[in-house]
Amino acid sequence: MDEDVLTTLKILIIGESGVGKSSLLLRFTDDTFDPELAATIGVDFKVKTISVDGNKAKLAIWDTAGQERFRTLTPSYYRGAQGVILVYDVTRRDTFVKLDNWLNELETYCTRNDIVNMLVGNKIDKENREVDRNEGLKFARKHSMLFIEASAKTCDGVQCAFEELVEKIIQTPGLWESENQNKGVKLSHMEESHGGGACGGYCSVL
Amino acid sequence: MATWDRPSQKQPQGTEPAAEREPVGRELAEANRFAYAALCGISLSQLFPEPEQSSFCTEFMAGLVKWLELSEAVLPTMTAFASGLGGEGTDMFAEILLKDPILKGDPSLITQDLLSFSLKEGRYDARARVLVCHITSLLQVPLEELDVLEETFLESLKETREEESETAEASRKKKENRRKWKRYLLIGLATVGGGTVIGVTGGLAAPLVAAGAATVIGSAGAAALGSAAGIAVMTSLFGAAGAGLTGYKMKKRVGAIEEFTFLPLTEGRQLHITIAITGWLASGRYRTFSAPWTALAHSREQYCLAWEAKYLMELGNALETILSGLANMVAQEALKYTVLSGIVAALTWPASLLSVANVIDNPWGVCLHRSAEVGKHLAHILLSRQQGQRPVTLVGFSLGARVIYFCLQEMAQEKGCQGIIEDVVLLGAPVEGDPKHWEPFRKVVSGRIVNGYSRGDWLLSFVYRTSSVQLRVAGLQPVLLQDRRMENVDLSLVVGGHLDYAKKMDIILKAVGIRTKPGWGEKGLLLAPSNQSQEEPHQATAASSAGQIPHQDGQTQEPAPGDTPKVAEPPDPSHTQVLAELDQSEGASLPAIQGPDESAHVCSHGMGPNPLGCPNCSQSQGPCPGLD
Repeated sequence: MDEDVLTTLKILIIGESGVGKSSLLLRFTDDTFDPELAATIGVDFKVKTISVDGNKAKLAIWDTAGQERFRTLTPSYYRGAQGVILVYDVTRRDTFVKLDNWLNELETYCTRNDIVNMLVGNKIDKENREVDRNEGLKFARKHSMLFIEASAKTCDGVQCAFEELVEKIIQTPGLWESENQNKGVKLSHMEESHGGGACGGYCSVL
Repeated sequence: MATWDRPSQKQPQGTEPAAEREPVGRELAEANRFAYAALCGISLSQLFPEPEQSSFCTEFMAGLVKWLELSEAVLPTMTAFASGLGGEGTDMFAEILLKDPILKGDPSLITQDLLSFSLKEGRYDARARVLVCHITSLLQVPLEELDVLEETFLESLKETREEESETAEASRKKKENRRKWKRYLLIGLATVGGGTVIGVTGGLAAPLVAAGAATVIGSAGAAALGSAAGIAVMTSLFGAAGAGLTGYKMKKRVGAIEEFTFLPLTEGRQLHITIAITGWLASGRYRTFSAPWTALAHSREQYCLAWEAKYLMELGNALETILSGLANMVAQEALKYTVLSGIVAALTWPASLLSVANVIDNPWGVCLHRSAEVGKHLAHILLSRQQGQRPVTLVGFSLGARVIYFCLQEMAQEKGCQGIIEDVVLLGAPVEGDPKHWEPFRKVVSGRIVNGYSRGDWLLSFVYRTSSVQLRVAGLQPVLLQDRRMENVDLSLVVGGHLDYAKKMDIILKAVGIRTKPGWGEKGLLLAPSNQSQEEPHQATAASSAGQIPHQDGQTQEPAPGDTPKVAEPPDPSHTQVLAELDQSEGASLPAIQGPDESAHVCSHGMGPNPLGCPNCSQSQGPCPGLD
């Protein structure tokens, strides 16, 4: 593990099929855009280290498949995630409407309740917008999520989305510190045995 | 006997005439194929986190993705899984698979598919077998099922042969095959002359194996396997020229070794083999190499290694002299006080014992030396794949365990040592027990490294009396190697003296999770287990220090194919009972070991990368793949 990396964070990207989850990820990690990107099978996985406020964080990003036939697999990835990016397409109202289903799923499968959520309205470069920015903002406020509009194609807001999410996670110490402490316990289990430190994270949950 | 019903359903499947079936794996929905591959990937990363195994894991996953006809696009994700990223969720994936409509609640189809995949190249890598066992247990399929599948694979050979001769459409293939047959026949005959059984089965079976694989794998796979190349690789599975292990002749006197041959213990054939190594010979019942292994039923194809009979006989006689005489009683008495405190090395040896020391010291010294040489020689035989491309399990007691120790040590220094050895079982091993000497074995052994020790084995501590106090002897104490493979089994209750390793082999084998012949255990229960010491080997019980047996996951309970509607009875019920009995009979002379005691903690977390509950493993780099 790199010395200067503060922590490793697990980020999950979810949302309806075709809203541009993989494109957002690709823009963020490789800074490329492919208009013909094939549908994701199962899940895609990328690692990227970013620096926020001088803190380096390693992001393990899980890009799930939006297609219905892979829906059964999605729950496997929620476990242990510290951040979730919920994506919708501003040019397709149906993807916005279905956000409620995704939130339900999130609630069902997530192992922690202080997880940081972010709502991203993608494809703002397109002309035929169907969902207004304010609608998105309102929805995000209602469910206490971060909100940003972005375009994977023009690179608008992509970097910002990830950075803000990470910043917020780092500002929520119980979230990633407990993870770190857990690891500490794992590594030095012999001396600490069932160290009280591990429960710190859970206490804050309570 | 639920497990026994299965084969009858399965058999027809396996023997359908060149079934026009896709491998089961490909019939699954894409999402489930993904889950299947992901499950394998994550399991691989948990089982083999060592960097030297990563190329195997990566290749395996690449092959599996292709086999399942998954898109290339998932490859990076699968590789990430296999290299330890995203370690959570095996249970989720397993659950998803269990719900699949095509499996119809019979997850053993996955086992079957994975087995077919693992065998398709004609190599059965020990790591692949460990993975198959692991997945099988994750899917809650009894491991007997895997035996049955492996057996079906072989059984179907015979049937296929008959069918093939009847079917007209196969005539073209037949002609093609016949040419090869002739060749195999020649090889076969050559080895029959040498009086070898495996020569016939190993070599001649090759074309059959290919045909059998076809029915199991389905027509698509059959096309590949039926080709000349396919047959050639299937041959490799059973040993190159067909002569196999029994055909092996020591060409020249190697080093200090005078005798080195493999004797078949069983007549059957299997996709994995077991080699048993005897530690000493004695007059009477234990004068042959195979005598202690009558109960061993780990595989249908088992051999025992005959080595240096002359010296082992000398040693055995010396052991009996010492252990049957007055000295034994004296030593036992002395032990009562020391063994409980665990400071065996500090034992002050009685004068009467020291006076007979010369009886044992000489043959012991000679055998120590020879066993190391034999071990190295065995390593090279295994490395050259005389046994075929199949996983090998090594079981040995006393100096036989020492042979294994040196075999592993030698293999670890060679290239291509991975994927050959599945499990090793060392019982009462007169070898260094410092974990740092066992460290390299992680590379060589895919499954379990079992160290069976007895704190009450005064003979071992006696022969090591001259060495420094710090010396840790593996046969006397647990080896504290931090690895999922390492399992220490305290046999103190069963093994009162060194000679018991041969006499109570059946109980010991059960205790360490090696399958024994059905019937031994039950018979034992009928006999009074009270006269613990000098009895027939199968006298006592199905017992063991039950508490020491780690949970029976994929790696632990190896299936032994074979003989039966058997082993339906789980070992547990008998355990407790027997422990109680043993306890009574033994009195307090030996330390109680039922509870997994601190130092002897069994490191057995085959299931997860590093569950918090497994303290001994937590320090190792290996099992925490997800951390970096």
